[in-house]
Amino acid sequence: MSQEILDRLKQGVIDYDEDAVSDAANEALAQNVNPHSAVFDGLVPGMVEVGRLYEEQEYFVPEMLMCADAMYAGLNILKPHMSKKEGASRGVVVMGVVQGDVHDIGKNIVRMMFDASGFEVHDLGRDVPLDKFVEEQLKTDSDMVCLSAMMTTTMVGMKEIIEKIKEKNPKCKIMIGGAPVTSDIASRWGADGYARDANNALKDAINMIASLKSIS
Amino acid sequence: MNTMTSRERVMSSLNHQPVDRLPVISVCQHATYDQMEQLNSSWPEAFHDASLMAKLASGAHSILGFDAVRVPFCQTHEAEAFGAVLKYGGKTGLPSVNIHPYHIGDNVDFPNDFLSRGRIPALLEAIRILKRDYGDKVIVMGGVIGPFSIASLLFEVTDFLKATFKKPNDLIPYIELGERAGTMLAKAMIEAGADVICVEDMMASMDMISPKIYRNLAWEYEKKQVEALNVPVIIHICGKVDPIIVDIAKTGCGAISVESNVNVPEALDKFKLEGIKTPIAGGVDPVKTLFTGQPEDVKGEAREAISKGYSIISPGCAVPPATITANLIAMVDTVNE
Repeated sequence: MSQEILDRLKQGVIDYDEDAVSDAANEALAQNVNPHSAVFDGLVPGMVEVGRLYEEQEYFVPEMLMCADAMYAGLNILKPHMSKKEGASRGVVVMGVVQGDVHDIGKNIVRMMFDASGFEVHDLGRDVPLDKFVEEQLKTDSDMVCLSAMMTTTMVGMKEIIEKIKEKNPKCKIMIGGAPVTSDIASRWGADGYARDANNALKDAINMIASLKSIS
Repeated sequence: MNTMTSRERVMSSLNHQPVDRLPVISVCQHATYDQMEQLNSSWPEAFHDASLMAKLASGAHSILGFDAVRVPFCQTHEAEAFGAVLKYGGKTGLPSVNIHPYHIGDNVDFPNDFLSRGRIPALLEAIRILKRDYGDKVIVMGGVIGPFSIASLLFEVTDFLKATFKKPNDLIPYIELGERAGTMLAKAMIEAGADVICVEDMMASMDMISPKIYRNLAWEYEKKQVEALNVPVIIHICGKVDPIIVDIAKTGCGAISVESNVNVPEALDKFKLEGIKTPIAGGVDPVKTLFTGQPEDVKGEAREAISKGYSIISPGCAVPPATITANLIAMVDTVNE
């Protein structure tokens, strides 16, 4: 019975069917399916499949945005019922689009992957002053900071943020992404990772935080 | 070795005629901090003042040695005229749309005074100046934004992209308005002296939408625009446009400008099968090569572009303003080899 509900959660996300996901999430609660399992064995595999479809160019950004809506519809119903321990995050992430840049669609997609996968996300939004990233990292003691820029003019601000954060907290991992960013620039500027797209951002983040936790 | 003028070279290329060497242009913006300093014309003033705008654009000819000059630098004139609130980036950054003026479903009227709104008069004046001062030497290019992309700037991008999938028909009136705006601006540019129009339809990219949505919501309006203009139109779409490149050619455009991740030899094979002769412009990666590379890297990539069959050498997208001058000049050096 519970497997059937998990499958419906997963399929609802893939089919970007908000109503189907909401119904399945409510039924999961009514039938005492573990909410943690409903999220991680239902919604998350759905998003993983969406990521795969995106990589294969079966899905494009519009589909991904609608899948995200469906995923959040389920997450909003299930999350309040997850116990503290079950809801324990896989890592704390500070993210935002750098100063001067108002293009936040990529950042929002990456954020959605993090939300879905159980990270605690502190989203600073778009056009974020450089120092705000440093402050927020210290305040939340986040494992990771993700910087996004869409413009070749604003991406240069990332370099300064990376230096400042590394100076204050060398252990914090930094990932950068956005249309003009390349892996070469990421390594040259001292970032720990470069996210080609949302799916890769998530995989990288999991690896980075895992490595962080294994050394600390 | 050069037996043609820049003007002859670009026009021959766009008309599928032989050239003495490949033309070098920048289909998208080409201002850099280096040129700003040398020409004593900087952002943000050059976004507003026609003579400063023309002066900065002229660097493509006087400093870089390109075969064309181009205005504007940003992609916001049409959206601003529709009421979008811009955010300026000071001396170093381009303006971008901060507040999108409408919600999907709103009735949007076409402003009767469109051509006198915002910075459009300054833009047109800059073209007149460029034509007057450089028009006998180089091609003057006017840049407008594609119909689909103008429409996208009227709304929150997330809402717009979802609607392309869920309620595409609701967007058609806005895309029609975008076409009307871009065409009106392009015609005014031509009247002011533009020899070529560049249409940047950046949101019609496969980074944003599927080929199916491109065909339903972008293509027809690009085609209508191309047909309405009596000068060659270069269409630029970012990202991997491989699945739609034949469609773009079938708008009747004069050339297609692509980023370096497009498989150009394969595209040209497809063109051959269809009897399409549309030249492809691009070949030099603006970030990887121009911004972070050295002149030798630029030369290497430009040589490769020539062998791949590009007809016009151009940065694949907007030039990052921190690009060094030597890297841009290296593009011209390569075609002269």
